[in-house]
Amino acid sequence: MTKSSKLDRSISRRAMLKGTAGAVGLAAGSGAITGFPYIHGAEPKVLRYLGTAVNEGDEISKKCLEDTGIKIEYITATTDDVTKRVITQPNSFDVLDTEYFSLRKLVPSGNIFALDAKKIKEFDNITPVFTKGQLPNGKKIGDQGTAPWKVLYLEGANSKTFSKTPTEFVTLIPTVYNADTLGIRPDLIKRPISSWTELLNPEFKGKASILNIPSIGIMDAAMVVEASGQHTYADKGNMTKPEIDLTMKIMTEAKKAGQFRAFWKDFNESVNLMASGETVIQSMWSPAVTKVRSMGIACTFQPLKEGYRSWASGFCVSKAVSGPKLDWAYEFVNWYLSGWAGAYLNRQGYYSAVLSTAKANMTADEWGYWMEGKAAVNDIKAPDGTILEKAGAKRDGGSYDDRMGAVACWNAVMDENDYMVRKWNEFIAA
Amino acid sequence: MSERRPRSFYLLAAFFSAYVLFLYGPMFAIYILSFQGPDGGLTFPMNGVSLVWFGKVFSGSGIVDIGAAFKRSLQLGLVVMVLTVVLSVSAGLAFRRSFRGATLLFYVAIASLIMPSIITSLGIALEFRLLDDFIIKSGAANWTTAMGLFTSGLGAHLTWTLPFGLLIMFAIFNRFDGRLEEAARDLGATPWQTFRHVVLPIILPSVVGIGLFGFTLSWDELARSSQTIGSVNTLPLDLQGLTTTVTKPDIYALGTLTSAVSFLVIFSALVVILVLQARQRRHGSDAGKGMV
Amino acid sequence: MTQDRKTFVAWLQAAPMMLVFALFFLLPLLFVTIVSAWDYNEYEMIPAFSLRGYTDTFEGCIADLPNLCTILKTYLNTLKLCLLTWGLTLLIGFTVAYFLAFHVRSKTWQIVLTLLCTIPFWTSNVIRMIAWIPLLGRNGLVNRGLEGAGLIKQPLEWLLFSEFSVVLALVHLFTFFMVVPIFNSMIRIDKRLIEAAYDAGASGWQTLVNVIIPLTKPGIVIGSIFVITIVMGDFVTIGVMGGQQIASAGKIIESRLNALQFPAAAANAVILLGVTILIISALTRIVDIRKEL
Repeated sequence: MTKSSKLDRSISRRAMLKGTAGAVGLAAGSGAITGFPYIHGAEPKVLRYLGTAVNEGDEISKKCLEDTGIKIEYITATTDDVTKRVITQPNSFDVLDTEYFSLRKLVPSGNIFALDAKKIKEFDNITPVFTKGQLPNGKKIGDQGTAPWKVLYLEGANSKTFSKTPTEFVTLIPTVYNADTLGIRPDLIKRPISSWTELLNPEFKGKASILNIPSIGIMDAAMVVEASGQHTYADKGNMTKPEIDLTMKIMTEAKKAGQFRAFWKDFNESVNLMASGETVIQSMWSPAVTKVRSMGIACTFQPLKEGYRSWASGFCVSKAVSGPKLDWAYEFVNWYLSGWAGAYLNRQGYYSAVLSTAKANMTADEWGYWMEGKAAVNDIKAPDGTILEKAGAKRDGGSYDDRMGAVACWNAVMDENDYMVRKWNEFIAA
Repeated sequence: MSERRPRSFYLLAAFFSAYVLFLYGPMFAIYILSFQGPDGGLTFPMNGVSLVWFGKVFSGSGIVDIGAAFKRSLQLGLVVMVLTVVLSVSAGLAFRRSFRGATLLFYVAIASLIMPSIITSLGIALEFRLLDDFIIKSGAANWTTAMGLFTSGLGAHLTWTLPFGLLIMFAIFNRFDGRLEEAARDLGATPWQTFRHVVLPIILPSVVGIGLFGFTLSWDELARSSQTIGSVNTLPLDLQGLTTTVTKPDIYALGTLTSAVSFLVIFSALVVILVLQARQRRHGSDAGKGMV
Repeated sequence: MTQDRKTFVAWLQAAPMMLVFALFFLLPLLFVTIVSAWDYNEYEMIPAFSLRGYTDTFEGCIADLPNLCTILKTYLNTLKLCLLTWGLTLLIGFTVAYFLAFHVRSKTWQIVLTLLCTIPFWTSNVIRMIAWIPLLGRNGLVNRGLEGAGLIKQPLEWLLFSEFSVVLALVHLFTFFMVVPIFNSMIRIDKRLIEAAYDAGASGWQTLVNVIIPLTKPGIVIGSIFVITIVMGDFVTIGVMGGQQIASAGKIIESRLNALQFPAAAANAVILLGVTILIISALTRIVDIRKEL
């Protein structure tokens, strides 16, 4: 561990002390004050945590062990493998880290446990983005696609039907989310980019890329179609068959013309494509842009006038979990929302679900840079201590309200998903 | 070797060298990029030169314990290697006589090669899920799962390595001179003695080859393991998992180290063998003559 | 030993392998086949009999005539990649095996050179795949080298994310699968046969065509089985090296699976199994690799 991250930790401890009085009523505090690991009973508290590496931080599991005595065993897999494992082997994990749009596929399998909202201490403080589809200031945000509030509640403890109104049975407790847009290489493009249409602009022939997940790739294409005025969708995340045909036709033309260099399927690939100059414009994730930039290569997470495509992930619990393990799972989720982890996520360029607790764990400068769109007073550091931005820098896209407020649609699984995947295969074969 | 090499030797040696160069193509990029500077990425341009990534391999890269995964994959690979050799040689012997189900076994082996690994993986996962459900229903309260590295994982790997082992045995036993075994039997050797002292020494180098093949296939297996490994990953799965976040040149350093250690081991083994052979020659034994 | 007893012993020798296949391949295959005949909707699979997984796959095959439907286009493309890879791996694999078997006469050196060819595969394919970009990309080693040598002015785009790079990576991965069986066939060839051919005045080429190739046929067929079966079902290499834009039979299965449409994926896998078994049985009809055991 580097020196700076130790420093980081002691800062967060102090912040934690300040915060305990206010919001965080957790046993976690005692461990943090004495600095001794919090040791519980005889049985080691172990939770198997299945997810992608993006959200699995080494520091998070260490801090969690220190505060709660729960040992997190990460099971790291690709996004696709994670969802498949949920269907095929619900016995191989306890806590699942997944996205809301996957729930439409995962809940019908009956392998997801309905969490009790009353046992989640900070549930009422979760940002209204998830519960009501609006910003903390009351502004409504885009609801196209599988927006979290559409799949947050179940009708009953063993129900497989999503409830339109709030119930106490929660599918997935939100932890992290973001607003995605196109990443660009300003040094190679050399002109301002302001619209999604640029993704399919022949100027960038052979230098564009999208995500290789059909249901998300087609939404990026839909953003282009809509931006260029060819069609306005009622819901880009839930297209009709003719809309799918139209969007695929436009994508097929682009593919035949050689617009796409490659479709990327994981975080690392998106970084490599951009950093090596294989692509100059592509859909991307915020930390991937940060990574490219930290290598000394110019890269911008470009805000576009048509808005962002958003995603959100969080924790589910496997139906196979019961007894004390279930209590630990609640304890873990409660710890996660209590602020330290939220601050950790915010520092990577993501957003945390409970803003108040995360704020208590960040410096005013960090909060200003990441959340309020202010210029950084000091250098901005990643959780591991590496410098991400020099003092004076401002975040691409501005504040939380600016970015989340401009969300146009959410990652989705469509009602016509089966048709869409068939069309996608046709598109690949074209 | 005293006789002069024919011209074709040099041509073919050049071809072979070109092939080896081709094999190592991506490895060169890995070797060079593992010396990236602390801020460097997985692609060119180089961002300074350093040894930090080698340090990172040993200190662990955080989320996944590469060392532990390395050990798990090594263990699994070695078990798969031994089983592949034993089962393939045994079945290979069986195919030299005709037996009921020979054709079936042959086509099953072929089908196991054809079936896309992810589907086989899924099938095994389904099977174990049914097994788990059955065990839980029969009253095992604290049962979690029968899945694991050496149950479903091992089985999945064997469905991948055994077809190779079996078919290579076909190549080995093709036109194998049966008279040697007859002679041994005529001299009163038991079937086991015939195998142990006559057949095995002849096929041994090829059998070592099958072992090597089996190990390498298991070591690098990805898709078949993906749904069958339970809650602990193999090394390739962990590495693939890492690509879902910021991936750093430490994985290249791991590649460079693997190659370096392999080269070192093979080179030392070669030196030992050559020294031993030279000594044998000097002592006038004829045992090593056939080797060179 | 009586004939019955011999057969029984043979059966016992084959039994362990049969058992492994029965438990970990045939039984799972049975489940997969059952699932392939299940119904499904947009979100889940329904355990009721339906052949939708199959009929959907052949969607448009008659209606779109004379245009090819997706599945046919995909299989044609897969076959093309498969044939290219097969031809190249055979050519390279045969030559390499020939060198190892006939020119490297010491067993020690044969093993050392085999190991030399194996070492790259001990670095996980996950890592090697990433390394193709810095090798073949716009700013990669190859383009830099060619530009440095003044051979090209613009970087070659088709080196990466093209059919070229797919075949290159497949050949890279699977040539050794050809080398091993061919090599094992070759070392069984009685050296006296080759000497006899030379003594009878045959040229090197004549010996190759009339003596060595016929005697190496089983090895060639076995190597071909390896390469064809793997390439037909591949989606990882074709996916990554083709920039996910090149169709293959395996990729259809993958995209169906990733969308969690298990019945359709399973149906496609059963189709692939059928098609490839046909190819292989035709191949073993031509050369019976089990005849001279």
